[in-house]
Amino acid sequence: MSQAKKKNFKIEPFKHKVEMDPKYAEKTWKILEDAIHEIYNHNASGLSFEELYRNAYNMVLHKYGEKLYSGLVNTMTQHMREIARTVEAAQGGLFLEELNSKWCEHNKSLQMIRDILMYMDRTYVNNFNKTPVHELGLNLWRDNIVRSPRIRDRLLHTLLDLVHRERTGEVINRGLMRNITKMLVDLGPTVYQEDFERPFLDAASDFYRVESQQFVETCDCADYLRKAEKRLNEEIDRVTHYLDAKSEPKITAVVEKEVIGNRMKLLVEMENSGLVSMLIDDKYDDLGRMYNMFHRVSTGLQTIRDLMTAHLRDTGRQLVLDPERLKDPVEFVQRLLDEKDKYDKIIQLSFGNDKTFQNALNSSFEYFINLNVRSPEFISLFVDDKLRKGLKGVSEEDVESVLDKVMMLFRYLQEKDVFEKYYKQHLAKRLLSGRTVSDDAERSLIVKLKTECGYQFTSKLEGMFTDMKTSRDTMQGFNATLAGSETNEGPTLAVQVLTTGSWPTQSGARCNLPTEILSMCDKFKQYYLSTHTGRRLTWQTNMGTADLKATFGNGNKHELNVSTYQMCILCLFNKADRLMYREIEQATDIPASDLQRSLQSLACVKGKNVLRKEPMSKDISEDDVFLVNDKFSSKFYKVKISTVVAQKESEPEKQETRQKVEEDRKPQIEAAIVRIMKARRLLDHNNIISEVTKQLQARFLPNPAVIKKRIESLIEREFLERDSVDRKLYRYLA
Amino acid sequence: MGSDRVRLNVGGKPFVTSRTTLANAGRGSMLAAMIDENWDLVSELVSEEIFIDRNPSYFSVLLDLLRTGELHIPSGMSEKALYREAEFYGITDRVRHARKGPLDGNRLECVASISGRATGDGTAIRASPDGGCCVAHGSMVHVYNWAMEEQIPLTLDYVNVNDVGFLNPNCVVICTCERGDRAGGMASFNVTSGKLVHKFQVCHDDQLKNFTAGALASSDVHLYASCRGRSYEYGIGTWDQATGQQINFLYETPGRPLGDACKLQWLPQSNLLLVATLFPRSDHSFVSLLDFRTKGKVWSWTDSCQRKSADEKIVMDAVAMEECSTVCVVNQFDNLGFIDMRNSSHPVRWSHRYRSARVSECEERCYSKLAVSGSQLFSSKNDSVYVFCSPDWDAARGVQTARLRKTEGGGAISDISVGGDSLFVLHNEINVFDVWETPGSSGIAEVL
Repeated sequence: MSQAKKKNFKIEPFKHKVEMDPKYAEKTWKILEDAIHEIYNHNASGLSFEELYRNAYNMVLHKYGEKLYSGLVNTMTQHMREIARTVEAAQGGLFLEELNSKWCEHNKSLQMIRDILMYMDRTYVNNFNKTPVHELGLNLWRDNIVRSPRIRDRLLHTLLDLVHRERTGEVINRGLMRNITKMLVDLGPTVYQEDFERPFLDAASDFYRVESQQFVETCDCADYLRKAEKRLNEEIDRVTHYLDAKSEPKITAVVEKEVIGNRMKLLVEMENSGLVSMLIDDKYDDLGRMYNMFHRVSTGLQTIRDLMTAHLRDTGRQLVLDPERLKDPVEFVQRLLDEKDKYDKIIQLSFGNDKTFQNALNSSFEYFINLNVRSPEFISLFVDDKLRKGLKGVSEEDVESVLDKVMMLFRYLQEKDVFEKYYKQHLAKRLLSGRTVSDDAERSLIVKLKTECGYQFTSKLEGMFTDMKTSRDTMQGFNATLAGSETNEGPTLAVQVLTTGSWPTQSGARCNLPTEILSMCDKFKQYYLSTHTGRRLTWQTNMGTADLKATFGNGNKHELNVSTYQMCILCLFNKADRLMYREIEQATDIPASDLQRSLQSLACVKGKNVLRKEPMSKDISEDDVFLVNDKFSSKFYKVKISTVVAQKESEPEKQETRQKVEEDRKPQIEAAIVRIMKARRLLDHNNIISEVTKQLQARFLPNPAVIKKRIESLIEREFLERDSVDRKLYRYLA
Repeated sequence: MGSDRVRLNVGGKPFVTSRTTLANAGRGSMLAAMIDENWDLVSELVSEEIFIDRNPSYFSVLLDLLRTGELHIPSGMSEKALYREAEFYGITDRVRHARKGPLDGNRLECVASISGRATGDGTAIRASPDGGCCVAHGSMVHVYNWAMEEQIPLTLDYVNVNDVGFLNPNCVVICTCERGDRAGGMASFNVTSGKLVHKFQVCHDDQLKNFTAGALASSDVHLYASCRGRSYEYGIGTWDQATGQQINFLYETPGRPLGDACKLQWLPQSNLLLVATLFPRSDHSFVSLLDFRTKGKVWSWTDSCQRKSADEKIVMDAVAMEECSTVCVVNQFDNLGFIDMRNSSHPVRWSHRYRSARVSECEERCYSKLAVSGSQLFSSKNDSVYVFCSPDWDAARGVQTARLRKTEGGGAISDISVGGDSLFVLHNEINVFDVWETPGSSGIAEVL
């Protein structure tokens, strides 16, 4: 070749693409398009998957991806329109069936098309941010069929109609419903929500608004709740059978709002069947149902709780302020406990031990128990009764449960110090008269009080028990020295040495003891003081008891169990047959009220009248004359002469106790004030009041006026001073 | 029945296999689709063979992979051609998994050394989630797919690339310096087509700003970058990956470290972003953890209050080990240090186990780079990468367990990156990077 010819070569830019058969793409696409048609016409068995796949692969490889993709979109759209027409043409009930069968076919076809175009999906679609084939198929179905104007409304209407028919008791084809709703879900959550769920919820709302109105007019509360529960379960059932699981909270919310929320007030306040009558009649099932249903709406439980609290406070107030009930403290407390048990059981069985309900119950009890100022005394009396006799022959667990219940009432008390006062008195009586049934029960209650209120609350009560024990030891020692020293002729003496302060002693109560006793007493005093130097003993004659052997005129011999005062009186009759009231009073020096009471029990109690009184009457007057009742007889050898005791405190005693309590509170309030001021140095009046109240509320609720008085007293004693500028401020003076 | 048997004819050569073996390829593959009941091929035409118009020798290797789960490439067979065939059958993932196992620093093998076209001085190397990587080099970014085939190089109009990162195997984000005419900044590109996908913009006071994008990090849905504008726009920007829209901008006044940050790391478990501003970008080191839900710092550490002295340790790189609640740092002497992420009073605990001999000043020096995979820490030093394995709860108790060094070497290491079960090591003197992988399931003894 010549050089010239070589020069004729034209240098052209290098071509990447070697031009292929220009109709290659057209031809290949035609094959694929035909295959897609065949697939939609259920005629795929004649197709070779490998060939189709290879063709699609080659098209993408040779950069005809764009053509392949747009061709696919067009062909599929065409088929969708066709399907839409056949579905539209379906008549009546066949509509859904047709839609469903076409949907199943479409899914299958789509799967096959995706298989063929798998390579395009992996590469072209990925690189050019196109919609993958499967998703594309769903989108086309959505836009051309489900949302086509002639199908959309008809589909919705048909579905809602079926649901409505099922609600009114008809049987529908749930399987078909499930397939259709599943199709909507498959097309994307928004399709299901917008095209079905929202109208479905609206329809449910309308339906239940009307129905609940009918129920309210025709049913009582329990019946209504039963029906509401049934409806709710039906809707949940419906969701599990043929709706999307996400619809459950939505549809239940609709039912809850229409059936419960909007009718709540009406239901609980229903005459003769509402909450109050359920509570009164212990309708556990109905209450439980009400709780479960109301639990579903936001203010439901609040509604129940408020009404229950109101009812509780109302009945409670009636209970504690009923003058009839005040006559028997034990019965009074028992009624409280019964009421508490009743509501505990309701809360446990029907309200699922809901804490908020328990709190409401507690606050209600706290409210009405403290309406009656005598509650602390009554509770203590109830305990006294139980510990004296009530617990005889009762198992340990039952004892515990009674004590726990008492403690529960105790917790409601605001004036715990008043309870303590009474409890101390009652305990002292029990201990000294040896009437406690069970030492364990006593101690167990004290442990409970201790855990509830702290060491200080019970230290004196525990002191009483210690005294009892040391007294027993002392007596053993005393009796041993007696036995050693001389023949024991005189009366046996049992002494209980009580620590001053621990016991509720009444000072000044003394009397002249018979000489025999007095000598024994002196011996004991000598013995005791010889072992415990520097102590002082005083005799609390008002608290003792004595056993006397008496021989009556008719020859009857009896052992009389009497109080110390009664013993003094009876011993007088060893020397005289007949004594005037005044003579007795002079000889014994017993305080008048105690003397009268002792004489009353000796002379006026039928069957136990050891003395005779002239004239015969119920009351003791100063002119009365007393004789030994020679005709006294009893079935028993031992006779217990009980002093006529007013179990409940009489009005003046009550006042006295009250006063004592108030007196005791003063130092406690002062101590609290000083403690607070010492820490805070400078504080205004309102803050002191609130802090003191807070500190003391475990024991009692201090009256602000009293606190103010205490502050003034402290200012007088120069613990505090008022701020010179702001008179409301108090300053602590160290 | 016997219908489990399948007779294939691949490029004229008959193969007999079972449906079960083909189904092993997975539903997304051509082979499994071919025998799907939709196509009614096998059940009707049991006796007939299915023809596939491909090269039988590659098919036999791939069929063996489906049968045994192991990949044995006969000598002389082109790996690239094999991968192309795998792509046709839709079993690329199977091949990739057979070829390499989960990253384990102690069992790494250097499977490839790829040379670039230019001479040395690559800026950064970043791993892609599928085992590919990209190398930033001046104003160019070279992208390699998982089979280490180079894709279309991305040229950034002569602005310097600061950082790159993959949003997914098909999409890289590139951070560049600004140039003043709205060029520069940050954008994402499709790696196969080379086309721009999104340009990420910074908008402040309703004005678009020119900015230099520094370091980069991405979570599942968001993209974070440290940004430095011309006038007082310093901070961390947040964009939506799908739409490219700016979501948030955490502004700081100039002189504050966020906008100058040279390393960002997204911590997926705690939903926090590690931001490290280090020497030489700033005189002092600042490392902090940002919570974008509250838009505040939840943890931070700095050495700015420490006394300057001659042999003072300057933090050169930092990385968080989320599993150990520790931030690992490395200084100019290649000492590793550990800071506790869980409390705020946190001195660096320096580890002296791994002290290097002083490098002579004349030699060009590359400072240590750090990378993390689970509880394994990778640290580059000179021409080697050291692997430290630590108990899950305390990185500072880790011990060095392996040293990775390619015999012929490419000079000092300028950057390392971990991702897609591979470790990529970029050398400084010669433009070459090494790919280290854990060998696949084939031929590995089970570890008790």
